[in-house]
Amino acid sequence: MLFFSFFKTLIDHEVTVELKNDIQIRGILKSVDQYLNIKLEDISVVEELKYPHLSAVKNVFIRGSVVRYVHLPAGAVDIPLLEDATRREAANQAGKAK
Amino acid sequence: MADTAEEGNTVAEPLDLVRLLLDEIVCVKLRGDRELKGRLHAYDSHCNLVLGDVEETIYVVEDEEGDDDIKTVSRKSEMLFVRGDSVVLIAPHSRPY
Amino acid sequence: MENGTLTQGEGKDPSGFLSEIIGNAVTVKLNSGVVYKGELQSVDGYMNIALEKTEEYVNGVKRRNYGDAFVRGNNVMYISAE
Repeated sequence: MLFFSFFKTLIDHEVTVELKNDIQIRGILKSVDQYLNIKLEDISVVEELKYPHLSAVKNVFIRGSVVRYVHLPAGAVDIPLLEDATRREAANQAGKAK
Repeated sequence: MADTAEEGNTVAEPLDLVRLLLDEIVCVKLRGDRELKGRLHAYDSHCNLVLGDVEETIYVVEDEEGDDDIKTVSRKSEMLFVRGDSVVLIAPHSRPY
Repeated sequence: MENGTLTQGEGKDPSGFLSEIIGNAVTVKLNSGVVYKGELQSVDGYMNIALEKTEEYVNGVKRRNYGDAFVRGNNVMYISAE
């Protein structure tokens, strides 16, 4: 749940999603679900010449499992809050993989 | 659920090692011959991560006339979410033994 | 829980073996062929592994040392006690 909540705080910010097939899509984060599926609006493709097939697309839904990275706007991330939330999540999860 | 060892320095399960690396600079090996170096701001049990001030190194084999030269490509990112299924290894940076 | 029943200790099931060799020198081979040798700190039900004094071998050649290393379980082919 940690990252689901985290991504919800980034809604309406610009992010760049890098897929496992190397395509990078920049757009406004519009929604996210528990699987970390992502909806982006007003997108543009980085290195469009290499990947021209998305040039007519405005909005995308990206399946979480094909994501490698999401480049985030550093200014939109409250680092102490995020680290505290991580410690809380770790305490809740402790022992579950046993 | 909440027992006293959780916030201590114990390494009772592997993810405790990662917990001790929060807010430290870590080295992450990923699938596809990639490595990241950056400050660990978040992780979960899937090894999803958020890293700050990240440098990514990609190792690419260039097969030019049978010579397998290994080239490295470097990229930087201010703040990066990494999906856990790409993660192979997490280690503290700058603590060689 | 996701990994089925993991009764500890008796040494009858595979995970019993894993808990017996904690603290020992082990070799961990990954699906990629990369090998880690180190002291086994801990293992969990996903076969996530924490190693100490870790040496990394790629194609049998030593590449680097890690003081501590966390290895994500899905990459593990085997764990063997030295």
